[in-house]
Formats: sequence, C-alpha cells, structure tokens
Amino acid sequence: MKARPIFAALALLCPLALQAAPDAKEKPDSVLPVDSSSLVRVNSTNQAFDFFRPWTKKAPYMRRGLGVVLADQQILVTAELVANRTYVELEKADSAEKSQAEVLVVDYDCNLALLKPVNPEFLAKARPLKLDTGARVGDSAMILQLESNGLIAQTPATITTITVTGYPMDQLALLTYRISAPLQNREGSFTIPAVRNGRLLGLLMRYDGRSQTADLIPAPVIAHFLADAKLEKYPGFPRAGIAFAGTRDPQFRRYIGLTEPGGVYVTEVKPGSPGAIAGVRKGDVILSVAGKAVDQDGNYASDDFGRISFSHLTNTVAHSGDTVEFVLLRDGKRVTIPLVLAPIDRRGVLSDPYQFDRQPRYFILGGLVFQELSRAYLQEWGGGWPKEAPQRLVYLDMFQSDKEKAGRKVVFLSQVLPSPNNLGYQNLDHLVVKKVNGVEIKSLEDLVKAAEGPVDGFHKIEFEDDPGFIFLDAEAAEKGKTQLQQDYSIPSLENLN
Amino acid sequence: MVFRFLGISLFAVLATAGIPVQAAKVADSLVRIQATSQEPNYRAPWSGGEVVSGVGAGFVVSGNRIMTNAHVVSNGRFLTVSKEGDPKPYPARVLHVAHDCDLALLTVEDPDFFKNTTALEFGDIPAIESTVSVYGYPIGGDRLSVTRGVVSRIDFQPYSHSGVDSHLTIQIDAAINPGNSGGPVLQDGKVVGVAFQGYSGDVAQNVGYMIPTPVVQRFLKDVEDGQYDRYVDLTISYHPLHNPAMRKALGVTEEDKGVFVGSVYGGGVSDGILKPGDVLLAIDGLPIASDGTVVMNGEDPVEMAEVVERKYRNDKVNFDILREGKPMNVTLSLTHPWPFSLQANAYDEKPRFVVFGGLVFQPVDANFMAEHNPEDLRLRYNFDQFITQGIYREREEIITLSAVLADPINAYAAEFRYDIVDKINDRKIRKLSDVSAAFKEPADYYVIEMVGDGRPIVLERKAVEDARNRIIARYGVNKEENLEK
Repeated sequence: MKARPIFAALALLCPLALQAAPDAKEKPDSVLPVDSSSLVRVNSTNQAFDFFRPWTKKAPYMRRGLGVVLADQQILVTAELVANRTYVELEKADSAEKSQAEVLVVDYDCNLALLKPVNPEFLAKARPLKLDTGARVGDSAMILQLESNGLIAQTPATITTITVTGYPMDQLALLTYRISAPLQNREGSFTIPAVRNGRLLGLLMRYDGRSQTADLIPAPVIAHFLADAKLEKYPGFPRAGIAFAGTRDPQFRRYIGLTEPGGVYVTEVKPGSPGAIAGVRKGDVILSVAGKAVDQDGNYASDDFGRISFSHLTNTVAHSGDTVEFVLLRDGKRVTIPLVLAPIDRRGVLSDPYQFDRQPRYFILGGLVFQELSRAYLQEWGGGWPKEAPQRLVYLDMFQSDKEKAGRKVVFLSQVLPSPNNLGYQNLDHLVVKKVNGVEIKSLEDLVKAAEGPVDGFHKIEFEDDPGFIFLDAEAAEKGKTQLQQDYSIPSLENLN
Repeated sequence: MVFRFLGISLFAVLATAGIPVQAAKVADSLVRIQATSQEPNYRAPWSGGEVVSGVGAGFVVSGNRIMTNAHVVSNGRFLTVSKEGDPKPYPARVLHVAHDCDLALLTVEDPDFFKNTTALEFGDIPAIESTVSVYGYPIGGDRLSVTRGVVSRIDFQPYSHSGVDSHLTIQIDAAINPGNSGGPVLQDGKVVGVAFQGYSGDVAQNVGYMIPTPVVQRFLKDVEDGQYDRYVDLTISYHPLHNPAMRKALGVTEEDKGVFVGSVYGGGVSDGILKPGDVLLAIDGLPIASDGTVVMNGEDPVEMAEVVERKYRNDKVNFDILREGKPMNVTLSLTHPWPFSLQANAYDEKPRFVVFGGLVFQPVDANFMAEHNPEDLRLRYNFDQFITQGIYREREEIITLSAVLADPINAYAAEFRYDIVDKINDRKIRKLSDVSAAFKEPADYYVIEMVGDGRPIVLERKAVEDARNRIIARYGVNKEENLEK
C-alpha cells in the first residue's frame, strides 16, 4: 500500500502542470516548458526468435528511446522499442538512476506501449505530461532528445501535413502528423517525443534524413490507445474491414448510377469483419460515415484536420464496441447500416502479419520441419523479401491472407534436417502441406494429431506442390528423435504455443 | 548467357595460305554470316522494332546447306554469307530453324557459292578429356579464329536461346566468344559439335558449350520431310527414389531402380496415361536407375529424358510402371508439344495485342516479361508459376493491361497497369482473342474486371468511339490488334 501517497502526490502535481501551460503559451517556443523530470531513458534488451530455426533465439541487442512520463507513473514509448523484449530498464536522465520496467500494454498496430517502473518510488518526483490533441497544420512543435550528459536537446519542427497513413506493421492506416525538422542522429532514437507548451503532441514514428521530414504518432491516436489501455482487457484499434476504391472517374460513376457528388465504391469486405457482419457488400457505395459525408476519394471534412480519410472515424474517433452508422447506396437506394466496430482478429488470418514476443510454432517429424506461414518468416529474407522469399509463400501471404474463412493456417515444410530416415528428401523446402496420413491439414495441431496415426508403418505427407507426396518410416522417425535433437541442438521437437 | 554476336560491318577477307591442314580443310566449308534482324517491340507492339546487325559463324553441310545456330538468324530480315577466300557476300535464306535446340539451316540461291566448298561430316560424342578445335569469327578481329580445348563435361543442360529447353550439351574449356556462335567444333576432321553458348562476365572462365551431334543429327533427320516438328517432351516431373520408406511404400522391390512421377501436366502427351505417384521402372525396356538415368547403347549413363529426346513426332514411348503397387505397361505417343509455352523465349513472331479505348492488352510471355520487367508481384507469380501451380488450367494465356495511351477517356486507368484481366462484360478472358471478341460485342458499357480486389475499369461505348481516331493519330497506332503470332 506504499503506492498510495505517490498517487496523491501526482494528483497534486497535475493541476500545477495545467497552470503552467497557459503561461508557457505566451512565451516563444524557445522557452522549454518540459524538463527532464518528465522524460526517462528507456533501454530495452530485445531478442528476436529465429524463424529459420524456430527453436532458437537470435543474438540479443539493445534499443534505446526517450519515454514520456504520463499520469499514474506510466511511461509511453513506441512498441518498436520493446518488441521481443527480454529486459526493459528505465534510466533517469539527470541522475542515471535505474529501475527495471514492466510492460503494461503493447499494441504493435499503433506502435505504442505503456511501461511502469517496478520500483514504485522511481518516478515519485517526475512531472507527468498531458496530451495536446489540438495541433493543426502549420503549428510549431519541439522535438526532444537527450544529450549524453542528460541535458535536453530541442529541435524546432513544423507540422506540414495531417493525414491518415499506414503504420509500420502495415495493418492500420491511422492519423499521422508529418513534420519538417532538421533532426540530428543521437542514441535513443526508438522513441523521440514531440511537445508543445508543456504537453505531448506525439512520438516520432519514422524519419527521413534526406528530406528532413518525420511522421509522428499524434496525440489523438495516443489518446485512443490510453483510453483503451485503462480497460481491463486491451481491445485494440477497431477496423471496419472494408476496402474501397475512389469514384472520380465519371464513366465509372455513371455505370454504377452514382449521381451524388461523393461516395466510394466498396471493392472488398473481409470475411468475419465488422463490415461483413453488418452486411456491407462489394459494390455498395459509401455515402457517409458517422454523419460525415464521404467524398470521391474516401475523405471527409474534419473540423480539426481538413480532408482526411473516413477511416479515422472508424478506427480512432470510435473505439472497439462502438456503433458507427454507414449510409450506403445500394441498387439505387439509400440504406443506413449500423456497424459495430471490432478489432481485427489476427488469429483468424491465413498468415500472421507480424509476430513479436512469441516463439514461432513448429513441429519436427523425422527431421522434417513444419511451420505455419507468417509474414515474420518471410521477412527473414530481409528487406527485399517480397522478391527474395519463396514466391508461392509470398503470394499466399500477400494475396490470400484475408480471403480464407477464419482459422485456416498454411502449414508448410520449411526445411529438412538431414538424418538417415529422410534420405532423398534433403533438398525439399517450402512445400505447402495438404494432407498427412489422409487427414487434411489446416493448422499445425492438425498435423501433430495426424502424425499420431501412421498407415502401415508409414507417414504419408502430401503437398500442394511438386513432388506431390513423400513417405516416412514412422518407426525410424520415432527412434531417431533423440539423435536428431543431439545432432542439431534442438531443445524440443515442437512448439505449439 | 547466349552471346549476343557483335555488330561488325567489315567483311573478313581471308587467305588460306599458312593455315594448318585441318584448318585449311575447314576453311573450305566455314561461313561467316552477317545477319540483319529486327527485334520485336513489346512496348509499342503495333510498330516494327529496332534493326540490329550481327555476325555469326556457320558451316557447309550436305545438300548445299549451311548449318548455324538459331539465335544467329532469329528475327532475321536480311542475311548474307561469305566464305573464306571469296570477297563476295551472298544473300542467304533460312530453310529450317529449331528454336528449341538452337539450330538452323540456311541455303544460298546462287549456285556459285557452293563451288569449291566441302560439306563437313559429323562424328560421334567426343571422349571426355579429348581435344577439340573451335572455329568461328569471335570478337577481337575480323578473320577466322581457331581455339582448342578439352572436353570437360557431357551433361544435360538448359539451352538459353529458348530458356526452357534442356538437351545433351558438351562443355569444353576452349574460349567461346560472341561470334563463335554457329561455328563447327572439330575432332579428327569431323564435326563433333556446334559452338553455341558460354558464360558472360566474370561468372566462370573457360567454360564454353557446344551442341553435340546426337542433337544436330536429330535436327537434320527431323527436317528431312521438309518441316521441323520440334521436340515432344513427356511433360511430367519425376523424382529420384532414394528413400527406403518411399520405395517400400510404393512397392518397389528391385534395388536402386525406379523414379516416381510428381506431376503430370495437363494437355501434354502423358496426360491421362501416367499419373502422379506412378513409379517408372523402365523406358523402352531400358531399366531406369533410382537417380533417373538409363544406359543407352552401352554409353555412359544419361538422363532418362534422353531416350525421348532422340525420338520424333508421333513416335511411341513405352514404360514399365508400378501403379499402386501393381506392375503395368503403358505406351504413349509423342503426338504434340505441350501447348502452353509462354515461358519460352519466342522468335520470328510478331507481338500480339489489342488496343481499345487507349488501353493496350497483351498476353504475358517471356518476351513481354523481358521487355517490361514488371514489378507487380501478382503478375510475376502468374507468369513464373504458370505451370507449377496449374494456372494454365484456368486460362491458357495471361492477359494484362500493359499500357495506357493517355486520353481523357482513360484518365483513371493508369493504376490498373499490369493487372491481369479476369472478365470483360462477364465474359471470362482466357486468351487474347477473348479480349478482341468481348470488345466487338455491342454494349453501352465495357466493364473490365481485373484479378484481385479493385474496382472494374468502365469505358462507355460512345466515349471509346469518339476517342478512337484521336488516340490512333496521337500515338501512331497503325494497327489496333494483332491476334496472330
């Protein structure tokens, strides 16, 4: 119960910060309204799993960032900073005093994470920052970095564009502030805050040194994340699950009978998504969302940001569980459909778009390594993976991933660890598994179960690709297990978690 | 990998004095070929392409014919040949060309040309480690060049001229350079091969390849009836049977024998006769080893396919097989080459296309891919995996929107470039002629649906008609479609 007085102290501090803000507004931006007690260095030791050898981890590495202290001693950082973490440490900017941190919530879709020091005294004297969600195009901001001596380095920036763009995990397009700022390269680049008048405007998400432009995860997205983080179970940003095309082409507008000025054409509704559940169909024209008219490009007139994509209304203004009204043009008639928003269920997709903090799933049978397709596996080929990785798997990941009925996974033979019983198969790799012992394979669990029932002493493994099928001697595979583990230093022949 | 022979416009005038005996004899039959060719233009398919010229070698064979490589005379518009010691270039024409094994036969109308020439005779496959001489007109000078080398390897190798065919090939360590193409390789006064490809750049050194006489003789025999019938492949994939469990499960009892069939490609000669999972034990009575080799006429073991390689159109092939453990004997006729050859480099063909409303539609084939080199992953997948994923079963050609000739009526179509056409006005598009036919059907709107999740492209008939002459004039489209090869 030691924590209580500190909470009280923080509650007292907050109004002070509020009072300070109006004063700061009057002063020019060069007067720094944020001191180092609102910031904390975050050193995260991370260790990624090796998707080519799913039983091992790669070498650990450290990422550093500058976390922002929020109310309740919580620290905001980017999710990238703590991806695949093994140990997260906080370090005070001025005194270099350290404390271990625990991660409360991490959401890779919006690239945000919330930490808390293990030692409750650690941030007792910190001055928490509040959010400033009111930034507009043309406003100034200050980018904060730490010098190695603990002093704050500040770089002035200007917000040049406010738009909805793709975030690093490529799963959501969310509101973004694009800023122009001549940033210097300093250590701790995995979280860099931007402030204005003593309040947090956003966190840097990416920076292009050549054009000196950066994208910020803006305060409205952070506010959505923080509100959801207060819930017992963090729900995640919602998605409507609707893909659309613009309707600028006048011939196309006449063809679909669209006489009104705006509207976008629904090209795809992902199975099982909120849009599908609400009954939105391919060919519908979306005329308005949440009472806002949608123009030919899919934008609406936001009071705050000008014309931005209507997806801001469904994924950031609204929260999971909220109902948003869609007005559609269907067969020449206006239809109003309430759509109950929900986050994407990533367990349901064919190929997981990203995977952190979890060991890859695999199963080894007679030296044959079976895995489930994921984007992370393909990314082991490096930045050029769409061209470098096996074409069949890339195709399934990129073009089939959200087409399938929920739950099916692509199980494939990733490699063969040569051993006596798999002689002749040692060049096989990247073959999609269709059946094992006559049982159709839709997940790794299916395969494990099917492998319990060899027929006439053989495992018959059928592939969707050439050579079509192979047989394994079931007894030899079973007997060779220990030797295989010894030879290749494999602690376990399966991971299904 | 195939050498682009160099465009040299000077003619070699070569005296035979001072050349050793074998070279002197060969010089009587050696021919320098000057080829002017026109490369097809797959970016503006209605126009003729760039005119280029090059030099290759050839040699006189029986019947007043000249043998050379197909790639020396491909897309040829005008050919001249000249021989040693005769300053005159003679116009020549192609009698037969075999793009699947990179060989061609030419002739010269002027009977004077063949006076004082000797038709070279063919020998057998030279022994490994024996020495051979390569004749030709490689870069580095204009006159006859002779290099010597050792036979390094005899193997099945891909022929890069078509890019998809593999035949018996002999690797030699003599330097084979651009301009050697089509020249004879001799041993003991007999032709034992035709120089045809090597490695370019720094990939490998002293690696040259020649087409051995079984392939050359087969070509000569094939054209005896006046036309070239091409190779007929089994169009199956087969795999070694090394794994004991696999052998046991398939019921193969004989040690080290047999391969198993992985895929049987639809529309090929084995379709409906062989099945995936069949074990091939013997071909025409010759036992097939578990690595897929056979021993023919007491020679060294060669790939099983070599038995089929030496056959001709409509010949039969007999297999002893095991199907689900039961011994069977099946015979198939080599009636026709596999119909879906879009992955092969094509020559002597005009690009095929349809232009409608400024939208250019083209079939995707190796020539198209080489010229456009599109980044689009879906298009690349459909091309590369056309056979392996059985895409040919859904459509025999992949039709793409290859270009948009910008005009107000297609101002919003640029984003669809390199998409694959799925349907036009609900008609499934399986080949280029379907595109042409769909646009000829009267309709108020032409609705072009692409593979994937985008919106359709919509063109109004009236708008297309109004824009037609404007687009033709502005872009110099002298032909709105070409459906024929």
